[in-house]
Amino acid sequence: MARIGVFVCHCGENIAGRVDCSKVVLALENHPGVSVATEYKYFCSDPGQEAIKKAVREENLTGVIVAACSPRMHEATFRKACAAAGLNPYLCEIANIREQCSWVHENPDEATRKAIEITRSLVEKVKRNSELHPIEVPVTKRALVIGGGIAGIQAALDIANAGGEVVLVEREASLGGHMAQLSETFPTLDCSQCIMTPRMVEASQHPNIRLLTYSEVEKVEGFIGNFRVRVRLKARYVDPAACTGCGDCMQKCPQKKIPSEFDCGLGKRTAISTPFAQAVPNKPVIDSRYCTYFKNGKCKVCEKVCQTNAINFEMEDEFLDLEIGAIVVATGFQVQDTALYGEYGYGRYADVVTGLQFERLASASGPTAGKVQRPSDGAEPKTVVFIQCAGSRDPAKGVPYCSKICCMYTAKHAMLYAHKNHEAESRIFYMDIRAAGKGYDEFTRRAAEEDNAGYIRGRVSKLWEENGRLVVRGADTLLGRPVEVQADMVVLATAMVPQPDARELAKKLGIGCDDYGFFSEAHMKLRPVETATAGIFLAGACQSPKDIPDSVAQASAAASKVLSLFSRERLEREPVIARNNEATCSGCWGCVLACPFNAIEKKDLTDRSGNVLRRVASVNAGLCQGCGTCVTFCRSNSIDLAGFSEKQLFAEVMGL
Amino acid sequence: MSLQEHYRSQARELLAAGAVKMVVGYAEGTTPERRRPVFITEPEECSRLVLDARCRTNLAGYLLREGLLSDGREIAVYLSTEGVRTINILAAESQLSSAQVRILGFEIDRDEVKAMEGKRAADFSEAILAHKERRKKQAPDELAAKLEAMNAAERFTFWQGEFSRCIKCYACRQACPMCWCRRCVVDNNQPQWVNTSSHTLGNLEWNLVRAFHLAGRCVECGNCGRACPVDIPLHLLNRKMTGEVLEAFDHYPGMDEHQEPALASFRKDDPETFIL
Amino acid sequence: MSEPFEPKIVAFVCTYCTYAGADLAGTSRLKYPSNVRIVRLPCTGRISPMFILKALQKGADGVLVSGCHPGDCHFDHGNYHARRRWTVFNSLLQFAGVPEERVRFSWISAAEGRKFAELISEITEDIRRIGPFEQYHALIAETGSPAPL
Ligand SMILES: Cc1cc2nc3c(=O)[nH]c(=O)nc-3n(C[C@H](O)[C@H](O)[C@H](O)COP(=O)(O)OP(=O)(O)OC[C@H]3O[C@@H](n4cnc5c(N)ncnc54)[C@H](O)[C@@H]3O)c2cc1C
Ligand code: SF4
Ligand code: SF4
Ligand code: SF4
Ligand code: SF4
Repeated sequence: MARIGVFVCHCGENIAGRVDCSKVVLALENHPGVSVATEYKYFCSDPGQEAIKKAVREENLTGVIVAACSPRMHEATFRKACAAAGLNPYLCEIANIREQCSWVHENPDEATRKAIEITRSLVEKVKRNSELHPIEVPVTKRALVIGGGIAGIQAALDIANAGGEVVLVEREASLGGHMAQLSETFPTLDCSQCIMTPRMVEASQHPNIRLLTYSEVEKVEGFIGNFRVRVRLKARYVDPAACTGCGDCMQKCPQKKIPSEFDCGLGKRTAISTPFAQAVPNKPVIDSRYCTYFKNGKCKVCEKVCQTNAINFEMEDEFLDLEIGAIVVATGFQVQDTALYGEYGYGRYADVVTGLQFERLASASGPTAGKVQRPSDGAEPKTVVFIQCAGSRDPAKGVPYCSKICCMYTAKHAMLYAHKNHEAESRIFYMDIRAAGKGYDEFTRRAAEEDNAGYIRGRVSKLWEENGRLVVRGADTLLGRPVEVQADMVVLATAMVPQPDARELAKKLGIGCDDYGFFSEAHMKLRPVETATAGIFLAGACQSPKDIPDSVAQASAAASKVLSLFSRERLEREPVIARNNEATCSGCWGCVLACPFNAIEKKDLTDRSGNVLRRVASVNAGLCQGCGTCVTFCRSNSIDLAGFSEKQLFAEVMGL
Repeated sequence: MSLQEHYRSQARELLAAGAVKMVVGYAEGTTPERRRPVFITEPEECSRLVLDARCRTNLAGYLLREGLLSDGREIAVYLSTEGVRTINILAAESQLSSAQVRILGFEIDRDEVKAMEGKRAADFSEAILAHKERRKKQAPDELAAKLEAMNAAERFTFWQGEFSRCIKCYACRQACPMCWCRRCVVDNNQPQWVNTSSHTLGNLEWNLVRAFHLAGRCVECGNCGRACPVDIPLHLLNRKMTGEVLEAFDHYPGMDEHQEPALASFRKDDPETFIL
Repeated sequence: MSEPFEPKIVAFVCTYCTYAGADLAGTSRLKYPSNVRIVRLPCTGRISPMFILKALQKGADGVLVSGCHPGDCHFDHGNYHARRRWTVFNSLLQFAGVPEERVRFSWISAAEGRKFAELISEITEDIRRIGPFEQYHALIAETGSPAPL
């Protein structure tokens, strides 16, 4: 038998000024299942709460309705009071007779009548409430960071420095990402590798960081605090434990003409190689696509020269299974495939390069040792034309967004170039200058005012070669006339786009992507580093185009989210989650598809000897957020939501 | 050779070779007008199989009989386009594996039956696409048009009259190949969402709920309407729903076995003109 | 009828947006007719068409279903699923002869207290004008349940 207590709060005059609370009490007193109905001036006050607790104990209540202000104000307060008196907190519900009644209705009779009806329908609901218990999940205090660019490194270091364990997975043979490729960085023009290399080394030597380079995430299962992750360690054909990084093998490898990815095709590398000289770890891998032995079955020169017998052609991919508590995704970006831009002649003319290639040309460790030379003949260009928004803000090319960093790095390029070559002349075609950021506007101005960068507002329409030089034709929209510039080299500020496999990774992780393929945050404004999947966070350019300071800031933010998760032994989660009735589920997987959080799994029902009888939906309590989208989908009413169950809502509506 | 003969001999061969364990087809009914489903397991019984313009029943639902497909063996079944679409839906909703369904396809054009080439549901995608295009252009039938022209109160009265006759025999559900739930919502009494009293109110609720459950799934095979002992024009409701999902979401049920259910998926730019 | 007709209106709303919007109408002391009863759900995704039928069975003359604007759902895309269901169910109800004015759908955010108050006023006015849902009430009466007030 239900024994419900109804507590009607006056909220001073706020409720009692309009609603006749005594009438509400009177009306509820004799309602079936109600054991006690009382009123009080302020139930949220200490004596008010005491009165509720006392009634719970003395009347042995099985449910409580507080008719008061919005549940968004004091549901927690009253549930706590009930719990203190020994009643399961989820057996307490709030009837909102203030915000949605006394404050919005003028006629006291109408307000009173409405207050009675609201309270009555919630009494009907609470009679069907069941005890719920917070879901406790243990937390594995080990973080997985995917991507070893600056964002991933920063997140890993922050977590590790606070005592957390980190597994840092990078798919290339070295840490570093794009930042390692940059020459100098805006807005301070400090050398990128000088600030990056120490971070890479620190991460690789940190006692709390387990670095897995040349590795990729294969599979992710589980939920916050309890992920199970399988990592593929790609075959390197070099035993990193034995290799000392002496580099003899690279000297002797006969395959010397492979375009270096790190140098964006401007330099060459060998089949056994490290991506760049300062690689961390500084141990080569064999690229089987190019290796003579893998191609022809003969060679093994590297094996012969290696003093420590580190080379092993029999190596195969290995898999590592990890228990992980939280995941930071920091997989960065790519620059757009410039082949899309026929009008800019990329791929057709050797001297049309991307911004990233220009970084390599300007970098002291680059293929030209920092001398800006044109790729076609090695000559030093006199006039360089930079084309901003080469791809960005162009819906026709699928990149309607602004890549955010190109205005800045183009100004940087013009400056670096002016510093290296004093007769240099640079002309920059731009749409707008977007230099919002600390010291950024000053930086672009300096490029124009001190380093002789000639800004031309307008788009480039055509580019062709004439007498060994490039001719760039565009419009100067400020002067309202066409312009033609003769150039020795053209640099395209190509758009920042998501990694080509971003969607695939998102699927593995169960997180979302925006229309372009950048990972989606849980809330654009309020939860910018979380994903909709609890326990998975974002850092860096994988979420949207970003520069280094923003990537680092977001990485630290993600790390702090991870650390706050790791500060507890167990996680308590609201028990308002879906549950499935396996007896009636038909296994149609509609709920699986509809669930915004991928919280529903397919479960085999087996007989005693382990034969699968049928498959049914099964809610993962760690992932379910309690929206109830699945419940409404399920035609057969198999799946239900605790706290807002079909029975409760039926009773609530039928009690109106 | 007539199509009837052709499919008889195919059925015979399939059974004799052990390629299928059963053929689900049509046989003579109790009256010359009627055709009824038959389940044939012996090659020599194939002569009972008939195929003509009276073979209207969508046989796909019979495949879901408990345990029929659980041994993984194939079954051959006579199916029109609606039937093939049903297979696609049932596969998309994980109720069967289309690889177990060997199709003997046919189409009824006025009084004629024509063969439809293909063995597996996936072979019929062109025919299904053509159906979709045709459906898009199809005008509502006479009764539907009359209903659309009425005002709300008149429509309510019309349906009140129709539903008042419903006897909650659930023959519509029984006949519908998409009504395969282990427990139908009306059989849930915790809570009893659908009023099971024999009044018009409960009948209305039942019929609306069933129509909603079929939105984006109904292939318009007409099984429910033919089954209804009191001739409620159930097809009107289901056709209305089919038209709605087609227009609003460009969803035509049963295009292929990977089609996401209309009501378990969405597009961010779905239309929403009616939302304030 | 001597007294003016006061319709019964039931609103099914999600807690994060429309419920919060209704609270805001309260904290801003906006006024609207007292005819509406609000049922709070975690998300529009949880709002089942069955609720609408049950509200009608309890004699509602009007129903409002409301939640977060597209893109604002606390659960990311519960409301996109809801929108599809509403599209279908709305069309079904109309085809069955339930007047459009009686079952309304809206997006009301936590900041739109004013929109909430105005919409409730508008819906109440609309339904006062078209009168009680007598056709439905007649069906209810047949079942022997007490006639709605
Ligand atoms: C031409 C150019 C010039 C720039 N100049 C500046 C500048 O001067 N100043 C400035 O502030 N910013 C500059 N930037 C921006 C800067 O490069 C980025 O902000 C920064 O690199 C973002 O870091 P990240 O770690 O997010 O991504 P990335 O640097 O792209 O690193 C991502 C890492 O993740 C790895 N990875 C990817 N997918 C996977 C996977 N599935 N599994 C495992 N690992 C994976 C990648 O291999 C890579 O190592 C410039 C960018 C460009 C293109
Ligand atoms: S929607 Fe219902 S019947 Fe279908 S899988 Fe989910 S719980 Fe089972
Ligand atoms: S309640 Fe929401 S989050 Fe939980 S399983 Fe259902 S759809 Fe997924
Ligand atoms: S009416 Fe709905 S719940 Fe009942 S069997 Fe059909 S689809 Fe399932
Ligand atoms: S077959 Fe006809 S009478 Fe029987 S339940 Fe369905 S609609 Fe009602």
